[in-house]
Amino acid sequence: MITSTLARGARQILMLGWTLLALVPFALIILLAFRNNTDIYRYPLGVGGTYHPENFVTAWSGPVGSAGMGTFLANSIFAFIAALIVNVVLGSVAAYFVTRLPQRVTTIYLGIFVAGTVVPFVLLLVPYYRLLNSLQMLSNPWALGVLYGVLALPTTVLVLNAYFVDFPRELVEAAYIDGLGDLAVFMRVVIPLSKGAITAVSLLLAIWVWSETQLAIVLLQDSGSQTAAVGILGFQGQFTTNLGALFAGLTIIAIPVVALYLVFHRYITKGIALGGVFR
Amino acid sequence: MATIHTTVKATTTTRSGAFQRRRSMTSSRIVAWCAIAPAAIALILVVGYPALDGLRLSFSSWVGLGEPEWIGFDNYVQAIGSSEMRTSLLLTMAYAVGSAVIMVALATLLAAAISGGARGSAFYRVVWFLPGVAPATAVAVFWSASFQPGTGSVNAVLGALGLGNDHAWLASQQTAIYPVIGVTVWSGAGFAFLLLLGAMEQIPVSVFEAASIDGASSARKFFSITLPLVRPVLVICLMLEIIWAANGFSVVYAMTQGGPGTATETLPLLIYKQAFSLSNYGLASAMAVISGVILIVIGLVSLRFSRSRQGASW
Repeated sequence: MITSTLARGARQILMLGWTLLALVPFALIILLAFRNNTDIYRYPLGVGGTYHPENFVTAWSGPVGSAGMGTFLANSIFAFIAALIVNVVLGSVAAYFVTRLPQRVTTIYLGIFVAGTVVPFVLLLVPYYRLLNSLQMLSNPWALGVLYGVLALPTTVLVLNAYFVDFPRELVEAAYIDGLGDLAVFMRVVIPLSKGAITAVSLLLAIWVWSETQLAIVLLQDSGSQTAAVGILGFQGQFTTNLGALFAGLTIIAIPVVALYLVFHRYITKGIALGGVFR
Repeated sequence: MATIHTTVKATTTTRSGAFQRRRSMTSSRIVAWCAIAPAAIALILVVGYPALDGLRLSFSSWVGLGEPEWIGFDNYVQAIGSSEMRTSLLLTMAYAVGSAVIMVALATLLAAAISGGARGSAFYRVVWFLPGVAPATAVAVFWSASFQPGTGSVNAVLGALGLGNDHAWLASQQTAIYPVIGVTVWSGAGFAFLLLLGAMEQIPVSVFEAASIDGASSARKFFSITLPLVRPVLVICLMLEIIWAANGFSVVYAMTQGGPGTATETLPLLIYKQAFSLSNYGLASAMAVISGVILIVIGLVSLRFSRSRQGASW
């Protein structure tokens, strides 16, 4: 009896503790974004001090001689648009049509994509640098976005394939009997009924592109071409005496993706349940 | 005669029907093959070819200009012989295994805490994954500011608890890795939690009910039912988190840039430095190949481990 009470108490402490640990940092980031340096040093927990909304203006336009959050966010969005188009178009077509081929082909085909996830980024870094350098596409967020789109193909193909395998066959057969061709069946029957799964992989992609640093820090050298995840690293060095602006920058990066998650968390959880990862 | 005629007619119809079906099957096949080709070609161009290029560079000397020059195994000899690489490899393994073990242990406890359908479990499920979706660099920048002595939030909390507010963990070679592990765990535990929760919810409720009737305590149920049944997922989770942490760049780079000195210089950071600060692109590629091979071996071994155990437990 005593042990079970203890166990229940330990469980409650764990649950409450981790909930606080998961939420408080976000609250702190937002609170400290409104403070100036003096207040942050005096009240590191954000309670007390004056409000300085102008920190957001500073973060948005950036430190002197460097781009700001406005530019970084735009670059992140450019990279995401390129990645999304490449990833979802190639990935959904491949994941569906491979289900129309013999099992042996499917196994080998999916095996190629599994093998693609094994290659570590550090090995690709130098070849990408050489490639984009020779194509004069360093510091181009769109080009990086295309790479992101293909690098995330394994996740998209495997998740969507897991979904398409269970797609009701009768619907597809009925559409063939109605005289639709293969592409029409895909576009007009399969895709409209797969919005949930496609939303799930798009969100996994968005979260990954939003936070990817290792490739971006090498391939986006000009400060005006950097995505938000890399740009904030520059802020870290340049806003050492203006922490409020640094926290405002962190708020601007973290809020969109957190909001997206809070609205669409069901899709993201489902994508992970189907085998999705952030990559 | 009439009978024969009908038979012949019937046969012809069937034949032509089968022929048409086969032809449409074939054209369907062709469409499918054409549809799956672009994704595979894209993957080969963007992952396969550069990986081979990286492999070739690892056997070459290249300083960033001109054509790479083939030098055989020199880079590998240099990489394996360098104490920098060995130190970094050991550090990477300690960091990756340490983070992954803590992360998965914590995630198991969290998942077990709400898997029985505890009140508010939908809320916990959403909140506990939140650190995992925030950009790793952003959270790392936040946490490294919080770990500053005197002015950081972590130190403020410790000060309020009477534990002193002047800990400078990130500034000391001996302690810098611990906050980095802490932040890696903080941002990665949510993913492991979701995977393990999914596995725990697959366990039939009747198994737990039977155990309760037999008088098993909740701790006993956790160790004798939950853990053995989720072991395959547990092993996969551990493997994935080890590989991700060992390949991880953002958290370490944003918190310490590998410093102070080389105290937190994991392999991805060492490779980045060798390539883009010191222009030893060939050596960096050899190091990348070595680390890739080690991680693939870890992956294969643990996959094998999880599979054979899975067969035994059922």
